[in-house]
Amino acid sequence: MLGFIVRRVLATIPVMAIVALFVFSLLYIAPGDPAVVIAGDQASLEDIERIRTGLGLDRPFVVRFGEWVLQVLRGDLGKSMFTGLPVTELIGQRVEPTLSLMVVTLILAVTVAVPIGVIAAWRAGGWLDRGFMALAVAGFSVPVFVVGYLLAYVFALQLDWLPVQGYTPIARGLWPWLENLILPSIALGFVYIALIARITRATMLEVLSQDYIRTARAKGMSERAILFLHALKNAAVPIVTVIGIGVALLIGGAVVTESVFAIPGLGRLTIDAIVRRDYPVIQGIVLMFSFVYVLVNLLVDLIYTTLDPRIRY
Amino acid sequence: MHRRTVIKGLSAAGVLAATGKLAAPAVAQGAKVLKFVPQANLANFDPIWGTQYVVRNASQLVWDTLYGMDSKLQAKRQMAESEEVSADGLTWTFKLRDGLKFHDGEPVRAKDCVASIARWSNRDAMGLMLKAIQQELVAVDDRTIKWVLSKPYPKMLLALGKVGTPCCFIMPERIAKTDPFKQIEEYVGSGPMKFVRADWKPGALAAFEKFADYKPRGEQADWWAGGKAVSFDRIEWVIMPDPATASAALQNGEIDWWETPLTDLVPVLKRNRNIKVDIADPLGNIGSFRLNHMHPPFNNPKARKAVQAALSQEDYMRAVVGSDDKLWKTIPGFITPGTPLYTEEGGDPLKGKRDYDLAKKLLQEAGYSGQPVTCLVAQDQGPLKAMGEITADLLKKIGMTVDFVATDWGTVGQRRASKNPPGQGGWGMFHTWHAGADCASPVGYIALRTNGDKAWFGWPDNAEIEKDISAWYDAKTLDEEKAIISRVNKMSMEHVTYIPTGFYFGYQAWRSNLDGVSNGPLPWFWGPKKA
Repeated sequence: MLGFIVRRVLATIPVMAIVALFVFSLLYIAPGDPAVVIAGDQASLEDIERIRTGLGLDRPFVVRFGEWVLQVLRGDLGKSMFTGLPVTELIGQRVEPTLSLMVVTLILAVTVAVPIGVIAAWRAGGWLDRGFMALAVAGFSVPVFVVGYLLAYVFALQLDWLPVQGYTPIARGLWPWLENLILPSIALGFVYIALIARITRATMLEVLSQDYIRTARAKGMSERAILFLHALKNAAVPIVTVIGIGVALLIGGAVVTESVFAIPGLGRLTIDAIVRRDYPVIQGIVLMFSFVYVLVNLLVDLIYTTLDPRIRY
Repeated sequence: MHRRTVIKGLSAAGVLAATGKLAAPAVAQGAKVLKFVPQANLANFDPIWGTQYVVRNASQLVWDTLYGMDSKLQAKRQMAESEEVSADGLTWTFKLRDGLKFHDGEPVRAKDCVASIARWSNRDAMGLMLKAIQQELVAVDDRTIKWVLSKPYPKMLLALGKVGTPCCFIMPERIAKTDPFKQIEEYVGSGPMKFVRADWKPGALAAFEKFADYKPRGEQADWWAGGKAVSFDRIEWVIMPDPATASAALQNGEIDWWETPLTDLVPVLKRNRNIKVDIADPLGNIGSFRLNHMHPPFNNPKARKAVQAALSQEDYMRAVVGSDDKLWKTIPGFITPGTPLYTEEGGDPLKGKRDYDLAKKLLQEAGYSGQPVTCLVAQDQGPLKAMGEITADLLKKIGMTVDFVATDWGTVGQRRASKNPPGQGGWGMFHTWHAGADCASPVGYIALRTNGDKAWFGWPDNAEIEKDISAWYDAKTLDEEKAIISRVNKMSMEHVTYIPTGFYFGYQAWRSNLDGVSNGPLPWFWGPKKA
């Protein structure tokens, strides 16, 4: 097992290298110029050129890429071209809100979606199943920002139960932290709940038709025990896979959700950096997200072994 | 009491029981905090290196200026206590007010002003003019600056007090010695508020705390002039990229003041009795149809005049601001309406019924043969997207072929700098807008310049206009200035330097418990008080 983990961690190195080269090349050929944005609308061509030179953007691709790679190897992601702040500091400022949003969404989604999927499979074809699946279709169909605006309108503006926007660090207390995350997590989790519920239902339907389930029923085991002890455990591997894949979905959704609820997270940092062509920040974030995604996949693989003892690496 | 306050109170008790600790307050208890949503993200904080308006607006809190412009567009003393100009107009002597301090406790000295002026004059159009005629700029003593020129410069005080970017902000000498094309790394000023570097989260929050040692002038504040007495202990700039979120946050009382509400959302805000809405900047904005004078078809004056003959400012303005007629007016000229130099001299081509037949005739005379006009249209800027759509329709109506490049502002910014022909990465036209404050006179109005290769994007070339603009800087009386600007307006209309697409205002909105919000080219923080 340890050997597997070490091999997988080492395998991230070429993956990260390819991501780094790809992102750097993409940004190099993409239109747009940070010097133009910095100089402002009134700047002359000479001003823009001098700012570009000051930022080192006039140097050849190979030189810039080489310097950046050496920096990254030293653990330095460089400085933002706009703020002058280290990219690691900018990312560090934004990690907590995004992580909080993702964790709360993940907990909410799994807590709601798995029971829905199990019950829908248990009552397959019934009104409960149809109702849940109709909701799941809605979850897939309605964009995150629409759900976000609706939630903010009802629960913040009309009922005044929760704030419209913002983020409070957890260090300032559990409730202030949570009250800013409830609406964004529901908005972001809507599609995720739909995805997990549908996969859970499909997998459970297959498991519930197995002989050992019929045997358990014949032995007089309660439905709850059959569903949650026997069936769900055997259906868990695909569900965990979907949860893992869904982390990428969450990262994408967080970009929109953070904008709608003005959460100062990594999603908004990404958008801001792209709009301004802040190359070091974009490169740093993409590199970090790639690393996180590789780690999540590793974690999913490890969870497989605990859910299904037959799986060995 | 808000329901959320009750819920918060009840839940806080539960949380306290659960966590066993009190939530750490963000700011001191009882502190007066203003939460302000600015027009854009404060992505950098060097007003000389980065000249975006949002940077200037934040900088006015932290850095002071020697002079400040009032609502009559006159430069008034701010850090300066007095000024003297020699009889030949060549030597200026400025004396600083006594007791001025930087946020690090150091006194403001003349040498700080000299270094700050030197850095500014490398980036600003008026600064460059001054630098070109500068013989000597020195600190005579701690409070006296002497500036010797080779030629009189009557607009000196205007240069030092103008609101157009970059402004001549005064920084400590060690900071002001930074290369003007490199960003400063320390944010120490002598303005009414200190920048809280530790709380700065670009894209999310910028915070300013009251500077206890700031000495406001005794006069009543009037725009950038007079006593800048801020009544808040802390001002938080909360960055909200989504207008709907900002609107909801203002309605919910989570923010106090929103600088640029989306026009579409204004009716909702006006219906809320806890919110006040008013015109933000009485100097408004001038929409611009910027043509490329370097390449066909707009290198031919007749082709430029063809578009001018058919362009309806009403169409553009309705697309930009909607049906609110209080927000726009037509402008048959280049100077900001309502300002002393405003003129309509030569503005006939933009008045009256639009003439498509004349436009087609002019295009024919220009030898236009259907080559595509590359229109760079930024889709991420509401007014520019709206103007771009009207333009595409207009050009088609007069028989032009449109190459509509729908892109983002960053790409427009890069591509408009290209002098290549349109088919090789260049362009034919793009839209932008100019702040009315920048268009009240030639100061900072680079879009009006016609110095060819050195002119702003589009590179219009007309020596006569340039000659008159230079003459304006030497003018000594308002009447003289007005006569010159009338000529400039007429010639610019004739030359079609660019085509104004109309004059329009924007709103600002604030909670009704915030008194004293006034209008101006930038948000003034020394008027408002929170009840």
